[in-house]
Amino acid sequence: MKHTTFTRTRSSRRLSEMEFAGWVGAAAPGDRIEYHRGFLAVDLIVPISGQSSPELVALSKLGIRAFWAAEQRLVHLVQERLGPNHFAYIAIARRKPKRAEVSLAALLVDADAA
Amino acid sequence: MHPPISEPDLVTLLEEADAAASRLWRRVRLPRADLDDLRQDLLLDLIRRLPAFDVRRGTMGAFAGIVLRNQASRIATRIRGERKASGGQPLSLDAPGGDGTTLADRLAANDGPAAWHGGRACTIEATDCRIDLARALGALEACDLTLCSAIAHCPVRALAGRGFGSRATIYRRLQDLRCVLAANGARAA
Repeated sequence: MKHTTFTRTRSSRRLSEMEFAGWVGAAAPGDRIEYHRGFLAVDLIVPISGQSSPELVALSKLGIRAFWAAEQRLVHLVQERLGPNHFAYIAIARRKPKRAEVSLAALLVDADAA
Repeated sequence: MHPPISEPDLVTLLEEADAAASRLWRRVRLPRADLDDLRQDLLLDLIRRLPAFDVRRGTMGAFAGIVLRNQASRIATRIRGERKASGGQPLSLDAPGGDGTTLADRLAANDGPAAWHGGRACTIEATDCRIDLARALGALEACDLTLCSAIAHCPVRALAGRGFGSRATIYRRLQDLRCVLAANGARAA
């Protein structure tokens, strides 16, 4: 059945890397999430952003994970311009790529035999 | 009627209750759905005992920690007692269950011993989980699959001595693997 209702999500707080990954895993094709708002490249620079170090690390991890998900063909990454130097960073879920499945039982048996 | 709780104290109580409920939930291995109930039970007991709090004897956080620890211990003892009772007195599945049925007819899959001990009882859910996991494992590199199978048999300390890198490296890889598996649809158990 065709999936016609897309969900668009914007978290009230910053997503963690794991939360973003969980969303990617659970999202239906076409669902979108705004994972950052601002100017990501600038926000990652300590003296300009004014953010504390843990926040920067979390934001950096989130950005890297989003890029990784795009490279894995799990999401499209797009930006929406909200104003000068102000963007909404949006991930749009793609259809999951088809890959050969690996049985956990077979994996564990192989490890036992090795 | 005790004096109203200040906002910082309320935040402290809620945080302590959250942490205590999570600890207890992991300790007694209950289903995830029971976490909120545990939290509420602990919080109610804590609020009931608030009049006994004396600011001269310590902070609100310390008071809450002790009360929650004691109540969590009581709850854990009760749950273990119930489990012991249910496991120590076997019933026949052919025992009459009323209305001409047997006990076996009246037991749902979710009433089985696996569910009592926090295990997965629903076969459909278990099948979904197996399919999701097989698909997510298919997204891993060969070296990550080796680590996954090794971690199922050995603790991290032992793996560090078997050429998987230092413990810090292994923990970093596991953290990354959690994200990779989650992004490929494997849900946490």
